[in-house]
Amino acid sequence: MKKECVAMLLAGGQGSRLRVLTEEMAKPAVPFGGKYRIIDFPLSNCANSGIDTVGVLTQYRPLELNSYIGSGQAWDLDYSDGGVHILPPYQSAAGASWFKGTANAIYQNMGFLDLYDPDYVLILSGDHVYKMNYAKMLDFHKARGAECTISVMEVPWDEASRFGIMNVDGEDRITEFQEKPREPKSNLASMGIYVFSWKALRSYLCADEEDPNSENDFGKNIIPAMLSAGERMYAYRFSGYWKDVGTLESLWDANMDMLSPASGLDLLDESWPIYANTRSSPAAYLGPRAEVRHSAFNRGSEIEGTVENSVLSQGVIVEEGASVSYSVLLPGVRVERGAQVRYAILGENCRVGAEARVGAAPEDCDPDAWGLAVLAPECDVAPGRKVKAGIMLNKRGEERAK
Amino acid sequence: MRELHGIIFSYEKRNELYELAEKRTAASLPFGGRYRCVDFVLSNLVNAGVQDVGVVLHGRYQSLLDHLGSGKSWDLSRKRGGLKILPPFAYQRAWGEVAFRGKMEALAGVRSYLQEIRQDYVVLTEGDLVANLPLQEILEEHIRSGADITAVCADDSDPVENGAYFELDGEGRVSQVLVQPHQPRGKRSLETYLLSRDLLLKLVDDCASRDCTSFRRDVLQARREELSIRGWVFHGFAAQMRSIRDYYERSMQLLHRDVRRDLFCPERPIRAKSADKSSAYLSPEAVCRNSLIADGCKIEGTVEDSILFPGVTVESGATVRGCILFKETIVRRDASLRCVIADKRVQVQPGRHLAGHETYPLVIAKGRVV
Repeated sequence: MKKECVAMLLAGGQGSRLRVLTEEMAKPAVPFGGKYRIIDFPLSNCANSGIDTVGVLTQYRPLELNSYIGSGQAWDLDYSDGGVHILPPYQSAAGASWFKGTANAIYQNMGFLDLYDPDYVLILSGDHVYKMNYAKMLDFHKARGAECTISVMEVPWDEASRFGIMNVDGEDRITEFQEKPREPKSNLASMGIYVFSWKALRSYLCADEEDPNSENDFGKNIIPAMLSAGERMYAYRFSGYWKDVGTLESLWDANMDMLSPASGLDLLDESWPIYANTRSSPAAYLGPRAEVRHSAFNRGSEIEGTVENSVLSQGVIVEEGASVSYSVLLPGVRVERGAQVRYAILGENCRVGAEARVGAAPEDCDPDAWGLAVLAPECDVAPGRKVKAGIMLNKRGEERAK
Repeated sequence: MRELHGIIFSYEKRNELYELAEKRTAASLPFGGRYRCVDFVLSNLVNAGVQDVGVVLHGRYQSLLDHLGSGKSWDLSRKRGGLKILPPFAYQRAWGEVAFRGKMEALAGVRSYLQEIRQDYVVLTEGDLVANLPLQEILEEHIRSGADITAVCADDSDPVENGAYFELDGEGRVSQVLVQPHQPRGKRSLETYLLSRDLLLKLVDDCASRDCTSFRRDVLQARREELSIRGWVFHGFAAQMRSIRDYYERSMQLLHRDVRRDLFCPERPIRAKSADKSSAYLSPEAVCRNSLIADGCKIEGTVEDSILFPGVTVESGATVRGCILFKETIVRRDASLRCVIADKRVQVQPGRHLAGHETYPLVIAKGRVV
């Protein structure tokens, strides 16, 4: 059945900069904001934008992601014609191969796209937190008669050299693309969200595949090739909250943003809901001596201790006398009696034993040595153990360099 | 376990619930910060492996229908079997203004549905029962004991509106059935009965031919001698929502850990429709103690000994004590509420003071602005 626009979500990357958090799951499956996983943002944006057909390209550790997406029902994306499709690498008569790059991942799934014969393809990635109406971007793409539209946002000039920067003319037509330029000519950064006219993209993907020297990557190969061929390419300006949560620090930052409306990340706003596939559990219980301030928490949790400036996911236990501050606790974490957690990210189902210490505030230690403390999912910190600031533990509780 | 079939009764005769049941049946009454009463029986059934469930509707069922949907939240949206809604138009008699006359009449009205039941055993239960019953265990005991009917009862004789009570003999057989007694004694009936499909059909036909309408009077009482009726005593939390006072007291018991451990035991999880709300948030000034707080609540004031459903807002300076606030209630700045049950989307304007009492909570009807 023909579709006007099909979304392809690149969810195969490991997200190696998230270190122990992604040792056993792909980055898009990493929990975020107390209730969500990163992939909820692009999937909910699709559902809210009226895009009902989404291919999710998986490769690295897909188990968690596959079971999370399920039928797509949680995002109202379970359609008999369209809906969410998981697209793993596959074997063919010519042999089997992994996805070599982002462009190759789409190339290998041209068959899927051809099933829906779309006019436009929306390319998304699973590592950003933002709310965006893709339908407006698509309208912009159509109005300009573009072959490719790239979503951009203004970033502070001194940070511009960390991004892919678009140089544009007076009509926002892209004239030049620079990947992490030392001396940026503009501060319009690519958000990694592309709309292509499928016919044009299809031919560029085929040509790119023929080139043995290509890295088969959108940013490095496809976009420059289209630019040098003089295709109509436009920058679509987005303003609003957008954050790459590719590093432990940015993941922590984005969680903290959730606590302050001034950051622009308003998850309580129901006009653009972010959906999540969550398990049923009772409402959170705050005990008679609970002290909870400037923090977010979720169902299935029992808080008897002190929690400040923190984000607690579902099913988190903070026992009496325990205290948690400036930390992100992923689902199922248990902080036992008298334990202290400061400036930390605790992976799913971690246990911090009684009287243990994890992390420290910057003012309480050598500023040069300071960093977030991070525990891998399932990590068990024995009662009384001290885990210093900046230390990362794997699931067996062994220190890992950060 | 495929051998048990569930039938849930939901009817509007709980007049002691006043405003709370004005637009809904007790089965769709919100409970415990994020559930509807019917979630408990549905979860009990699903947790016992029951795949087919019929819900007998009576009046004011719009809210219940909205909640049940296709049954997907309980994995009961199935190609074969699953959740079946049995609406009143399936009854043979004109219901209209006539009061609900009894379960046997309702069952006679859905005779063709009963005929099609695939399982050997049926459990009849009610939508206003809040308990985590091990139905699988009860069925095994029912089969093992060889009883014709197993009646599930609580280990107390607490008074409930329109309640029934059983006296059991030394072997667990029901020796007396008391319906709406002045002085309750014996074990409180949880209105949950297990029996074989064949016996159910026979009883329905017998009752229909004699214009007998009541399960308690025309089956349990009238046939106590001829049938083997056994009691199965449940020792956990078991609430029947039939008056504002029951509702308030039973809700507040959830603030005790032991009650929550029992009602929400992880081996038999209670499933509910997803609310799609973000995390709850407490501001730097907020104080919140001994309370159940659902997702999406935003608290800037003080909340103590209360139960807040999803998306409740308590603005700064406001105090909420001993209250139950349904979904999306807003308590504006400096307002103060004590022993109040606020229905969905109630708004309490700044500075208002409202107070009920533990024995007589103040109920504010859905959507009202105070």
